[in-house]
Amino acid sequence: MNALHTVTTPEAEDVLAMAGEVWATFLGEEPLLPAGPAEQAPGWSAAVTVTGAWPGMVVIELSTAAAHAVATRMLGTPQADEADTTDAVGELVNIVGGNVKSLMPEPSVLSLPVVTTGRIAVPTGQVEVVRLDLEWLGEPVALRVHAHDDSTEGGIR
Amino acid sequence: MKILIADDSRVMRQIVLRTLRQAGHDGHEIVEAENGLDAFEKIAAHHPDLVLSDWNMPEMNGIDLLDRLRASGSTVPFGFVTSEGSPEMRQRAEASGALFLIAKPFTPEAFDEALRATGLV
Repeated sequence: MNALHTVTTPEAEDVLAMAGEVWATFLGEEPLLPAGPAEQAPGWSAAVTVTGAWPGMVVIELSTAAAHAVATRMLGTPQADEADTTDAVGELVNIVGGNVKSLMPEPSVLSLPVVTTGRIAVPTGQVEVVRLDLEWLGEPVALRVHAHDDSTEGGIR
Repeated sequence: MKILIADDSRVMRQIVLRTLRQAGHDGHEIVEAENGLDAFEKIAAHHPDLVLSDWNMPEMNGIDLLDRLRASGSTVPFGFVTSEGSPEMRQRAEASGALFLIAKPFTPEAFDEALRATGLV
């Protein structure tokens, strides 16, 4: 047995429970609900990467309306501009990513968030290990966890 | 009491402020900093009674800020408010002299408990 090659991925239900807690704490009472895959490309995407004992990446994709709602609710104001939305969506993925990191083997380091309009590119070598297609306020929200695929060394860690 | 809040996210600084109020800790003088380096300079200039700092920030992260403060002789009470609440991060924070680590997502009760435990309020 080689412990380094143990398959280690977060459980989807743990990620969903944690995301639900993050939403309930910072974004109001409306729940994140299971949904089918979004029909359109996301309006906004945000990602953090984890390096170290568990190399991976956490991505959140939202419609433009959902991203705007994240910003106004986190700020507690009726309006939010693009800078506010970038800040809020980045902080959201930072919180979710930090909690995913805490579920996984340490020591690891969390990156600063990257936020973009549209879809974010996932680097080669990352494979999707959790995908949650959700709905919030009637808008699509997707939460994806990627793990570094070191298959040349023996599989996903 | 003067509290310095260090977080690169303005949104999160607003949430921390709001949560302090919800926890019954309003009326404090607040100084905001955008990263660890900004916080280090503002701590020297404003002499806060308590620092609430994010961990993961550009320029200088929270743990480097704390280490630099202690190396400079500052004993300012310091607590983390961070998305990373694993036992290892808590141990590292404590070893560097942090009084507490509040993990995001947090409740007003978690803030109240952490602040009261410092004996400052």
